Amino acid sequence: MNWSFVIANAITLACIYGTLAIGISLTWSSLGLINMAYGFIFALSGYGAWLASQHIGPYTPVVMMAGILTGVLGGVFVNALAFIPIHDKPNYQLRGLIATLAISLVGNQVLLWSFGPRAKSLPQLFGAGSVNILGVVMTADKIGASISAVVLLTLVLMWMRSSRRGLEIRAMMMNPHAASIVGIGVRQTSFSVMALTGGLAGLASVLLAQTYYVAPFSGITPMVKGLSIALMGGLGSVPGAVIGAVILGTNEAFTSTLLGGQYVLITQFLLIILILLIRPRGIAGILDKAREA
Amino acid sequence: MSRTWIDPLSGFEPEKAPREVATNDYLSPQTTWNETTRFKPKMYKVGRLNFFYKWPGHGGHLWSRTRYWPTRRRVLNIGGTYNQKTMRREKTILDKRPIWWTIAFAAFLLMPFAVPGDLWNTVMTAAAVFGIYAAVNLCWMLIIGTAGIYSLASYAVVGAAAYGATYIAILTGIPWWMLPLAGAAIGLVFGVIIALPAMRLDGFYYALLTLGVVELGRVYVIQSRVFGSATGGLYGAPSYLPDDLSQQDQLLYGYYASLLVMVAALFLYRFVNGKRLGRVLRMAPEKKEAFAEACGVDYRRARVSVFLLSSTAIGAIGGFYASHFGGASPNLFSFDTLLLALAMLVIGGIGRSEGAVAGTAIVVFIDRVLIDWGPLRFVLIGLIMLLVVLFLRDGLFGIKPQFRAWRDKKKSERRATRAEKGGEMLPEEATETENKDEIYYRRFDKMQRDFIKRLVTNEIIEEHRSRPLGQHSEALDRLLIYFRRQGQVDKYAILVTEEFKAYRIVALSGHRGTAPRVVEDKVYLNPNEAYHALFLRRVQDLLET
Repeated sequence: MNWSFVIANAITLACIYGTLAIGISLTWSSLGLINMAYGFIFALSGYGAWLASQHIGPYTPVVMMAGILTGVLGGVFVNALAFIPIHDKPNYQLRGLIATLAISLVGNQVLLWSFGPRAKSLPQLFGAGSVNILGVVMTADKIGASISAVVLLTLVLMWMRSSRRGLEIRAMMMNPHAASIVGIGVRQTSFSVMALTGGLAGLASVLLAQTYYVAPFSGITPMVKGLSIALMGGLGSVPGAVIGAVILGTNEAFTSTLLGGQYVLITQFLLIILILLIRPRGIAGILDKAREA
Repeated sequence: MSRTWIDPLSGFEPEKAPREVATNDYLSPQTTWNETTRFKPKMYKVGRLNFFYKWPGHGGHLWSRTRYWPTRRRVLNIGGTYNQKTMRREKTILDKRPIWWTIAFAAFLLMPFAVPGDLWNTVMTAAAVFGIYAAVNLCWMLIIGTAGIYSLASYAVVGAAAYGATYIAILTGIPWWMLPLAGAAIGLVFGVIIALPAMRLDGFYYALLTLGVVELGRVYVIQSRVFGSATGGLYGAPSYLPDDLSQQDQLLYGYYASLLVMVAALFLYRFVNGKRLGRVLRMAPEKKEAFAEACGVDYRRARVSVFLLSSTAIGAIGGFYASHFGGASPNLFSFDTLLLALAMLVIGGIGRSEGAVAGTAIVVFIDRVLIDWGPLRFVLIGLIMLLVVLFLRDGLFGIKPQFRAWRDKKKSERRATRAEKGGEMLPEEATETENKDEIYYRRFDKMQRDFIKRLVTNEIIEEHRSRPLGQHSEALDRLLIYFRRQGQVDKYAILVTEEFKAYRIVALSGHRGTAPRVVEDKVYLNPNEAYHALFLRRVQDLLET
């Protein structure tokens, strides 16, 4: 058994899934919306990055920026369609969930229509070399993916801690009603939240493109994984999502090495069910006082 | 505008020409009252009230109603009343849904004979799928609507039961009628497994978890060699159709069989949702669980029993599915199936059986009959779903109540805009006033002032100037009578400082012993001048109010 491979895989997967999970978690806790169109945003930004690499050039910053920007656009689009019209209507949360599902249905079909069913591949972003760190062999791709995910996530979290907009978003996460009372606009904050989370999806899409490729329906599996991690960490908690990502990444790497790839989801869901049975609100479980579901 | 008024007293002096004065046209004193009290809102002829056709009926038949065994229920909920105006008995069908259901069933039964020949195979295949999906959706509706558990794993249970039943059938060679039984057992086991977390998790946590379960099932089925990862599904289940049927007859029998399954699911829906379990759960909607619990309702138990019942039923339908299609395909676990099934529920409206059936019919029609459209049909379904979710609160069958609520809202908004404040007394003032006559007096007085103001014209003033005392035209008379009737407080009066030489206008205090106050410095040389000046002051005061 190759421990270095396991650890390298675990770290990479944890970084990327953590990005997705934090996006989903943020959306839920600040807007009360479960963004089922996250997979669509993921696939869309993959195509955005692919188009950029085809038409502008296969340079790492260009491809990455294109992916993130497409993700931002996708997030804003989903927000304008599924959050703004119904966020103050009765039965909003279920309707929001279904609206995002419908967007995902339509959007995936449109992607299939316009780009065809064949998977596209992005250029290798971080070269093809490999480095040996303390006996752990890491390919450049994995190192690049992990580092860029960590750096960008740290930047986002620092922005959330220090900027005015970040303060507004955090206020919405704590108590949306009170936030609107003190003058934080629900609609305009929702746009920034969705742009942010869309950007995170775009980033994850570009980073994961080496594993999943860019295909119309490639977003669904990562979305389900991100959802599971967010769920396990406790919807609405960033540290919880990080811990959940680490646990699930480790689990995935171990299971695929020890038992085989087809058992990954089984062990994963058994783990999640186990954790949720012990802590129904996830690992962090701060949600009881954060948002009334 | 003006006409001539002839002084009637001129008749006492027939030798002189009658006195003629220009005055106003006649204005009825009712005018202002009529204008104020007129019904101004715009009325529409239709759609304001629930319209019920009144059937004739005989009082003697009041108690002999058709009831169906074994219940005491009536076929139709008919309310009987006695109309005192027509002096006849009237019957009203209060709930028309049984009629619609009957019509729908008749349509379902006769549908195979009305489909055009070139489409017949496609439509009949789709119709059989519709029956099965409608049955599954009805059971799922019990879970989501009645029990309020947001489980997305219903089609995964169908898939598990279909796979399991097919597998058992291949291994042991059981006859087809054992398949639903095996499916039901598998469904029950699955239901117990899925229901375990449902007891601790709430709402969306559970929904997301079940989504994960679906994905888990899909990946497992796709990769498992036992369940036919190579052949794209597991096939070989015995069919319930006799072997010696032509293809057309097979489709026909398949359709009627799946319709039968749908009817069975409808019965299940009726007996769970409309009986004790449904009543109990209606008592404990989301966020009101604590109240229900305090009332002694064990809603958790009710929820779990509904969940297990529905899961068992879904499993049985899964067994039937295996028998109908001869096996199971991993398609049942795919995200698209889940999406389409959710679209069926949402389009019809969550929490109603007719919503499940109608939504299934719409989606299956688009998905299975309009095959030529390609991916466009998913776009169409997605768009319908999106529009329904964005604009409708409760699906297609919720349009009527939602429209009524909207119309009532608009009605009350309009009513608020046209509410006429009396202008005489503020609401707070009115509630504080002891003497309620005062309120009505002021309202009347305002209306009268409004009328009197319209009488003030140049002709009237000229008439008064020329002759302040004596007989006046009708309009001027009304004006003067109104002025004279006012209270003593601040009423204008004429003070004679020197007879035939000097007159002044004063205002009475209204209190004995308090002298009137002087209003102006001007001194009038004769009484008529003073009368007219006083009249002008009063007119001015009137017009200013």
